[in-house]
Amino acid sequence: MSAHRDLDRLIQSFLAEGPMELPDPSYDEVRDRMEQKRQRAFIGPWRTSDMNRYLKIGLAAAAVVVIAVVAFNLLPGSSAPGGETSASPSVSPSVAEPSTEPSTAAGLPVGSSFMLADGQPSGNEIGSLAMTVTIPAPGWDGEPDDGILVKNDADPPDGSGMIVWAGVDHLYVYGDPCDWSSTRPETPSTTVDEVVAALAAQASRDASAPVDITLDGYVGKAITLHVPDDIAYSAGEFTDCDQGKFGSWSMGTTDLSPHRYHQGPGQIDEVWILDVDGLLVVIDWTYYERTPADDVGELRAIVESATFGQ
Amino acid sequence: MHAELVGQAQRGDREAFDELARMAGDQCMAIAFRILRDFDRADDAVQTALLTAWTEIRALRNPDRFEPWLHRILTHACYAEARRRRRWTEGIRLISVEPASGPDPYLTVDDRDQLERAFRRLTVEQRAVLVFHHFLGLPLPEVADRIGIPLGTVKSRMYHAKRALQASLEADARASSSQERMA
Repeated sequence: MSAHRDLDRLIQSFLAEGPMELPDPSYDEVRDRMEQKRQRAFIGPWRTSDMNRYLKIGLAAAAVVVIAVVAFNLLPGSSAPGGETSASPSVSPSVAEPSTEPSTAAGLPVGSSFMLADGQPSGNEIGSLAMTVTIPAPGWDGEPDDGILVKNDADPPDGSGMIVWAGVDHLYVYGDPCDWSSTRPETPSTTVDEVVAALAAQASRDASAPVDITLDGYVGKAITLHVPDDIAYSAGEFTDCDQGKFGSWSMGTTDLSPHRYHQGPGQIDEVWILDVDGLLVVIDWTYYERTPADDVGELRAIVESATFGQ
Repeated sequence: MHAELVGQAQRGDREAFDELARMAGDQCMAIAFRILRDFDRADDAVQTALLTAWTEIRALRNPDRFEPWLHRILTHACYAEARRRRRWTEGIRLISVEPASGPDPYLTVDDRDQLERAFRRLTVEQRAVLVFHHFLGLPLPEVADRIGIPLGTVKSRMYHAKRALQASLEADARASSSQERMA
């Protein structure tokens, strides 16, 4: 082949060849598998819809509820720390079907496990991985469709909560969370070290020094971030920030807007990032200066109780 | 794509989504095959993408953007498929060559072989940019939108992909001519 021939034309011709149809059995397979998949509800990061509140009540009645599953169907098994592949996941959580019977009790049963996600990869999560946490005290509510667990709605001045993304392969960490629309980097962070370094360098976050962590045998790093106490804020909006949002990162959506944005001045975010077989698990647990110390302790206990599996 | 069908699918109508899937599926398969260079892997990636689209469709704010939105999901499914298979079969399995839909007279058999080898040496991210631009014919800003990356990244990947392709083709050409001299 002559190197002088038009490369664009060659590429075009080469790509023009090949299959152009999805086989009929593949459509049937998708249709069959749709029957087992639930559509995810999409709401604000800490809010609950009426439908999900109903689901939550049902969940509260269940003897065992299981949290966070995020796919791991990229891999035949999970890895032990150090990168060695094992044939079985480090944890095999018992998954119970949520009860559909209503209950008068709000909140999740103390001592129960909780299903934070259903293990289906979303547009951002590219793998499925199970993550189960234990509820240590009353007053905690969860959003199984959104990877969220909250107390007092996680809102200022004294709420607390956590949100999880598991099985993602990149984060675009904004240079300035207030001026996020013009400070998204050209290239995303794809490793724990890159994400933590980018968060540590964010403007206005008063970030802690990153520390090494291990959660259920998986290694990662933790960093503490702050929303400035004196930032302009009114009626649920950061009034001087882009679109009223103070945003930490995006996960590469076309609109570039934040996937994680914050709830008020003085908010403290403990961001834990793990490497699970080459994919990132991001756990953001958050509270305020006026959040009761007991709630913060419970939240930490919930995060530390996390186990992963398929 | 029909915004009405998208709206119905967002309300949980499986028939409506099935119709959307059938409207989009062939093009998704064509894209996925050209990124992954393997029929079975492409089939898996398309199925994964369609299932993800079903579970996530309520997140789609503008129903008119179903197709670009689905293509972004598909691209990530292809990345995941490439990553998964790379781990499972690292250094063991060669990617199979599927029959072409029809020969292009511009390409010789040698061209195809050389391009196939050169294409496989690219990263899956580079292939995706080439496929969206050269196969779908999208301008680069639209490629950036579909894949969900900044325009600068698209340009960078395009530049490096074409440079790598050119280098591979030239290396193949040099190897062929030296073999001919030795024969």
